[in-house]
Amino acid sequence: MQVDVNLAACEGHGLCAQVSPGIYEVDDEGYVRMRVYEITPDLEPAAAAGARVCPVAALTVVK
Amino acid sequence: MPGSAARVETDIDMFGADFVRNPFPAIARMREQSAAVYSTKWDFYVLTRYDDVRAVAADWQTFTSSQGVALTPEINSAIEGTILSTDPPGHTVLRGILAEQLAPRGLGKIRADMSAYAQQVVAEQVARREFDAVVDISRVFPINVVGDLVGLPAEGREHLQPGADATFAGFGPFGDYLIAHVEEMGKYHAWLDTMGDRSKLLPGGWGEAIMDAVDAGKISQLSATRLITAFLTAGMDTTVNAISALIRLFAERPDVWRALKNDRSLAGPIFEEILRYHSPVVGFWRVATQDTLIGDVMIPAGAKVQLNWAAANHDPAKYANPGEFLLERNPIDHVAFGYGPHACAGQGLARMEAVTLLEALADQIDTIELTGKPVQSLNPIVRGLESVPVRVTAA
Repeated sequence: MQVDVNLAACEGHGLCAQVSPGIYEVDDEGYVRMRVYEITPDLEPAAAAGARVCPVAALTVVK
Repeated sequence: MPGSAARVETDIDMFGADFVRNPFPAIARMREQSAAVYSTKWDFYVLTRYDDVRAVAADWQTFTSSQGVALTPEINSAIEGTILSTDPPGHTVLRGILAEQLAPRGLGKIRADMSAYAQQVVAEQVARREFDAVVDISRVFPINVVGDLVGLPAEGREHLQPGADATFAGFGPFGDYLIAHVEEMGKYHAWLDTMGDRSKLLPGGWGEAIMDAVDAGKISQLSATRLITAFLTAGMDTTVNAISALIRLFAERPDVWRALKNDRSLAGPIFEEILRYHSPVVGFWRVATQDTLIGDVMIPAGAKVQLNWAAANHDPAKYANPGEFLLERNPIDHVAFGYGPHACAGQGLARMEAVTLLEALADQIDTIELTGKPVQSLNPIVRGLESVPVRVTAA
């Protein structure tokens, strides 16, 4: 699984990082940043949950 | 049409006073009956299920905003080409104008000032002991926060809340509420039409940033005035009513109030749950660009659908016991701010306003109780309160 990050849409609300702090963080500039290089199967549920709550749909799960 | 079930229809008036007073039982019946119930009275399909509302909000190609997000052609023509009623890529340009100011990354530097102002507004009312939470706090704090950020002159701000409230009502049909408030709408827009002018706007504000975009050739003068109007309108009644609903909740639910007093970090989760539970904005419309199945209902190309945020936020398939305010729920995936490209651009600001105000309330107030019955507004598009009379004791 991969997460497609649309940085142009990201407004830095940080809900992804609130839900899945192990996967997402908001960087110093206020944009989402992935904290892992690879979403291994054990991380998939957290990655998907964090992507789901993005209020502006900037994170898309790609199977 | 193959694969689609017989259309479920309703003739109830979803904008009349009886429905507005308590829409949720009727909404629950519609949600159970069909994924998309057709309103024979107003010619649209109402979407009430969380998953459908969210999916359609994200899918701007199939469900466009550019053919109107209001119910009436009059309002749709008035807002044609605005941030509300455009699709990407034009919408992306308009949304980008204030993106740096409105995104949480731009808001950090105003938090201290906002917090100080919240403390001041609350202190003035705590000194009085008895006040109306709607009139004296909800209709004061967000209006001046947004007024100052935009750089509006102090004079004329009295038009903002009533004007925004009437403008929201205008997204629905010409019913009793709108007719009774149409004069406020006229005064508000007449005042706003004079604000697309640098000399009226204080330097350094968001209004000035919008005028800079005109000078840079990014948007037209008309677009600028409309953008200022859109942000002001969106920033008023929504936050005002969410704050009114919160203060009412604290008076009626001492357990929630005590929890906040004991732990300020609950301010955010309490705000998210009141947004879900109260759902200030009922919903907006989209137009189908092609025949599309929603559940087992075929929505024909050209049909209007209402994305009923309030209904989605009360879908029991998504939120168990939706009619209960649950402190532990923290439903950050609610759709009270909408979802997708048109998700509320000011949601970061709204969260900051709510949290700074809740902190001020919790710092300065010990107990809070109602001194009379809260009075509900009958605005069919923004679920609001006209009055929440309270008595407080100082902390």
